[in-house]
Formats: sequence, C-alpha cells, structure tokens
Amino acid sequence: MTEFIIANMAPIIFGSLVVFLLLGFPVAFSLGANGIIFGWLGIELGLFHPAFFQALPERIFGGIMSNDTLMAIPFFTFMGLILERSGMAEDLLDTIGQLFGPIRGGIAYAVVLVGAMLAATTGVVAASVISMGLISLPIMLRYGYDRRLASGVIAASGTLAQIIPPSLVLIIMADQLGKSVGDMYKGAFVPGFVLTGLYLLYVIAVTLVRPNWAPALPVEARVFREPNGKSGNVSLLVLAVVSVAAAVTFGKLALAPDRALDETIVITSLVGVAVAFTLAVINKLLNIHLLSRIAERVTFVLIPPLGLIFLVLGTIFLGVATPTEGGAMGATGALLMALARRRLTWSLTRQAMDSTAKLTTFVVFILVGARVFSLTFYGVDGHKWVEHLLTDLPGGQVGFLVVVNILVFVLAFFLDFFELSFIVVPLLGPVADKLGIDLIWFGVLLAVNMQTSFMHPPFGFALFYLRSVAPSTRYKDVHSGKVTEPVTTGQIYWGAIPFVLIQIIMIGLVIAFPQLVGHDKDAAAGGPDIDIMQMIQEDAQKSEGGAPAAPDSTPAQPAPPPASDDAITRALKDADKK
Amino acid sequence: MQGLLKLSRGIDALNMGVGKAATWLILVVVVISAGNAVMRYTIDWSSNGLLEIQWYLFSAVFLICAGYVLLKNEHIRIDVIVGHLSPRTQNWIDVFGLVVFLLPMTLLILYLSWPVFMNAWTTSEGSPNPGGLIRWPVRLLMPVGFLLLALQGFSELIKRIAFLAGKAPNPLAKTTGPTAEQELAQVIKQHQVAPEVADIVEMNRDMVEDKKPHEGSGK
Repeated sequence: MTEFIIANMAPIIFGSLVVFLLLGFPVAFSLGANGIIFGWLGIELGLFHPAFFQALPERIFGGIMSNDTLMAIPFFTFMGLILERSGMAEDLLDTIGQLFGPIRGGIAYAVVLVGAMLAATTGVVAASVISMGLISLPIMLRYGYDRRLASGVIAASGTLAQIIPPSLVLIIMADQLGKSVGDMYKGAFVPGFVLTGLYLLYVIAVTLVRPNWAPALPVEARVFREPNGKSGNVSLLVLAVVSVAAAVTFGKLALAPDRALDETIVITSLVGVAVAFTLAVINKLLNIHLLSRIAERVTFVLIPPLGLIFLVLGTIFLGVATPTEGGAMGATGALLMALARRRLTWSLTRQAMDSTAKLTTFVVFILVGARVFSLTFYGVDGHKWVEHLLTDLPGGQVGFLVVVNILVFVLAFFLDFFELSFIVVPLLGPVADKLGIDLIWFGVLLAVNMQTSFMHPPFGFALFYLRSVAPSTRYKDVHSGKVTEPVTTGQIYWGAIPFVLIQIIMIGLVIAFPQLVGHDKDAAAGGPDIDIMQMIQEDAQKSEGGAPAAPDSTPAQPAPPPASDDAITRALKDADKK
Repeated sequence: MQGLLKLSRGIDALNMGVGKAATWLILVVVVISAGNAVMRYTIDWSSNGLLEIQWYLFSAVFLICAGYVLLKNEHIRIDVIVGHLSPRTQNWIDVFGLVVFLLPMTLLILYLSWPVFMNAWTTSEGSPNPGGLIRWPVRLLMPVGFLLLALQGFSELIKRIAFLAGKAPNPLAKTTGPTAEQELAQVIKQHQVAPEVADIVEMNRDMVEDKKPHEGSGK
C-alpha cells in the first residue's frame, strides 16, 4: 500500500486536487491545503526532509510579494474601474454608432470597433459588455436587429478585452511562463486585431446572407447632420486622409528608417492624432465650419481613449515605461480624465479601491495556494509525470497542441481564466518549452482559447453581464412607441455560439500561421526561455534534501543530509527572482 | 455559543476596519508608481527606496485584505456543483474546508514566517540595492496577514457552526444590496441611457441573483 502511494504520488496528488477543488471551497485554500496535506504525508513516508515546508515563506516572499509583474494587476483593474464610470464608453458608442449606423449592420460594426478600442484601454470585460448592453442593444432592438446577432456581438466584443493588450490574462500568462509582459503584449497585438477583423467579417457575412437581421438606421435616427442635410462624412474622410498623410510624411522624414517597427507606429500615430486634434480644436474655437459636425465630434470622442492607449501601450512599446508603470500611468490618466469630466466622486474612488483590493487579493491568493501546491507537486516530480503524459502523445508538437487546446477549451466551461492560468498553465509551460514551442506564442494561443471561457453558455461571464442589462420583459419603446419583446436567455446563448466558433477558427489560425504572433528578434533567440525550466529544476533540487530523485525508487535508506536551510532559501530566492 | 459569536463579531469588525483601511494603499501605490515613471524620464531621477515601497504596499494590500476578502466571501470558488446544494450542505462543506484546508494552511505559514521576520529584525536585514528599504516591515506583513486570515477563518467557522446549530442566520446567504455590476449599470443609466431601459436593470435583479456565478471574477 505504502509503496503504491509512493510510486504514484503525483497522480494521487493531482486526482485529489480535482476532488478538493470541486468541493467548492475557495480555490486558494483548497490548492494550498492539498500541497500541505501531501507534503506532510511525504514527510511521514520519508519522501521529504522534515524541514521541507521551511521553503514556503520564501516562495511567497520572493515569488509573489516582491514580484513587479503582479503589481500590474491592481493597476489595470483600478484603471478599468475608474474608466468604466467615466462616460468614455458611452460617448464612443453614441458617436461611432452614428457614424456607421446608416449602413447595413452599422451598429454591430460600431459595437465591435468600440469593443476593440475599450479593450486596448482597459481590459475589463464587465464594463464593455454592460455599457454596450445598455446603450447599443436598445437601439439595435428598436430598428429590428436579430436578437441573437445583437446579443452575440455585444458579448463577444466585450471579451476582446481579454486578448488585446493590456489584458490581465496576458500579464498573468507572462508571469506564469516566465516571459516579459511587454513581449507578451507585442505578441498578442496582431492576433487581437485579426480576431476583431473576424468579428467584423461575421457581421458582413450576416448582412449579405440575412440582410433583415441587421438593417441600416433610418434617416431620422441620425443626429449629427449638417444644416444642409448632408452627413458630413466627406469632411471626416478628408480629415482622416490629411492626418494619415501627415503621420506617414513625418515617419518618412523625421524618423530613422532603422527604428523598430512598433516604435515607428506609436510615434507616427501620435503625430497623426495630434494633427486631427489641432484641426478640430481650431475649427471649434474659430467656428469656421472647416469640418463637419460628425468629423469634429468623432475627433473629440476618440482623443481620450487614444490618449490612454498611448499612455499605457505607447509608453510600453517605446520602452519608456515597464508594463507595471504603464498600468500606474493609465490609472492616473483615467483618474484625471474622470476628474475632467466631473464624474470622479469620493464614493466612486472608494468603490474602485475596494473592488481593486478584493480582486487583487483573491487573484494573488490563488497564486499563493498554487505555490504551496507546486512545492509538493514538483517535490514528488509531478512535473515529470505531466511531461511524460504530454510528450508521449502521438504527433509530437501538433498532438500536444491539439490535446492542450481541447483540454483548456473544455475546462474553460467550468473554470475562469485565473484558475486556468495559475493551475493549468504552469504544468503545460515547461512541456511546451521542452517540445521546442515558443512560450510567447504558446501564451497568446492559450489566451485566445481562454477567451472562450467568457462566452461559453451557460456560465460565461460576458453572457451573464449582458443578461443583467438586457430587457427580460416586454417594454414600450418611447422613441417608436412600439411594444418591444424581451431578449430571452436562450437568444443570448445562441447568439454566443457563432463567436465561440470564430474563436476556434482563430485558434486554428494562430497554430497554422505562427508568425501572426509578433516577435522581437532577440526574444526569438530563446534566451530567457530556460528560466522556467531552471526554476522548476531548482524547485525540484530543494526537495532533494529529503527526497530520492525518482519517486519510484524505494526510499528505504535514510535520506542524504540536507543542504543547509539557508542555501535552500537562497537558491529558491534566486529561482523566484527570475 | 453566545460568547463565541461575540468573539466572531469582534474579529469581523477588526478585519472590516483593517481591510477597508488597507484598500487606500491602492491609490497611494498608483500615484507613487506613476510618479516614479514620470520622474525617471523627465528629470532622470529615481530612488530605489521609492521603487521598493511599491511592492511593500502591494504586499500590504493583498496580505492585510486576505481576512477582509474572506469575511466578504469573495475568494473564488468553483461552484459548479456546490451551487446546487442545500444551504446546510454548503455550510458543512465550509466547516470541513475551514478546519481541514484553511486553518492548517494559514497557521503553518504563520508559524513558519515568524522566524523569518525575527531574523530580519535582529540582523537589521536591508535591501541589496543602494538606497533601498529596511526589510523587517515587509517581512512582518506575512505573519500579520496570515494571522488576520486565520482569525477570520476562526470567525467564519463559528458562524457556520452557529447556523448549523440553528442559532444564527445563514452566513452564506446572498447579501442584499446591489452588486458591482448593478451599481455600474445604475451609473451609466443615470448619465446616458434612453428612458425605455431605465428599469430593466431593476427588473432583472431578482432573476439574475439566482444565476449569479462567483462575484468579482472576470474583471
């Protein structure tokens, strides 16, 4: 019996973890307790040295408390919470809705585009979905959009916050895979835009196949019209062309051609936006009617989000700020913006701090639990067990990727991304690394996959948020005077399914075209890739004080004398720092 | 039992007060971190002390708030199965979890982290970086945080047992009052939304309460 337990320690620990977690007690403590119970058993069985647990404080101190990357979690959360009440999302939806409304499927395009833009500023799914559900959904219902399309497009566009930087998933993924957040952001950029493009393509396809699902807004629904009745779009187009031309010219003349692409893009866009903004300000102040109302309005409404995007992503890509500092600057920027719009109150600030502190605490505590768990799990060579399971799959890299993606896709029905990234990702990362898979690419791939956890009926959060703001009973539309039918829960679920399929297509695209995931040349050389392996090896070493190297060898003879505790602590600390 | 419940209320009040106070550190650390970045690139000035205070404060937030978050029952659970069980069974599971999972884990880490603090205190452990901060305050955070968490675990245990003995209301009952999402919807509505949806959020509230997944995650 004892021998059986010793030989199968890793599968036993893993099996009990599943049971412990399903009990429904808070994940952080179930995880940690699992590590402690089996660690204690390991000490009793002679697998570990009695001083085994002494590494715990240092694991928490070095790996979590002094971890700069994790600090970005409260920063971006706080920024998102302030921003969601600053009114920026509503202004964007109103204006962009007006701009695209007159074409078929216009409001749906506006929702996708605004969703992508909000995603690039914050990364908070709830905020986007609630704003769009309250502002765009009633308009879509009024003008006869198909309910499934309307709710699906809102829920899915809200989840773009998960994949377009700066997103919490990517931060945590970078931390867990031992990569830099900046590289992860750069890697996720193109996939994020491709995904936005796929959503738009889906809307185009719907308007072609089922034109009555997404009608254009009638003339009387358009607010920003010129006194002479024209739309004013020509003026907007001219403004756009002028700004882009200014940006390109500046890029050609003033910037060295050998500058990194991302820096060039950031700087030239800044110039382009500045030109548009200056023209709009002059137009407004001098009242010269150079620009149409819609052109002026679009410019002013785009400035706050673009400013924030520059403050956060621009500074990160330019190398001026670390992602953590970018988060802090974004949060400060959001505070200032909310203040300028007179939306910042003490109660809002207090609520935002309270929610941020709670979210940070429960996220970080899952990590605390995970590190207690992994001490024991790696101690019994659990990582080698997982590695054997996954490297022995037929098909090598491809087989591994297929299995892992199916696994994560299925788990995403039940777990949210915090749980997935702290429990599952650390087990998969080292194996992927060993199979020669680039970890940035792997992280982005998993992030796209985990995005589905927000859309899966019936537990997806985005669907849940949308349900809470979508009409659930009949109501009388005050604009048209018509009695409008409610949006049923079934319609919300069905609406999400095409987008889950798009997500699967995107996973396929990322696997088929790995170059989608942008890369710095030096990062591709694989320098820091060894970090995680080293960390795990050192993790395993520290348990060698008491444990035989392989769990299946009989631990009859007394364990070799352990290295001094200090040395262990130091080794761990070093490992953790990486 | 009454005495224990009184003790539990005392612990709740303690963690409530300490936790609420610690949430302010979020604002402080945001300002310090943004300031650090701006200073470094405008006037090329930086200080290791100000860089290190960032993670001191970050640690303070999540360690000191751990008990507060437990009090608010906002540590994430996987409630695929539990959500369907009776309140009594849910409370029994929590009693088991508190006794077998939470308390052993927190007490063990509390016990192990104290000597680490004492060591930092007696040796005046400092930062390896020039101008860095003395280490004992941050080392002290770990035992303090886990003590607060263990105390709260004990308080939660008392409340669960009191409920199972029929002497207190269900501590896991959904708290009344709007959730974060409902509050947000309220604010957006006030400022912007067409009147026809004005009461939808209100109407949906009861319906949504039943289906609510664990709060707070997914943000």
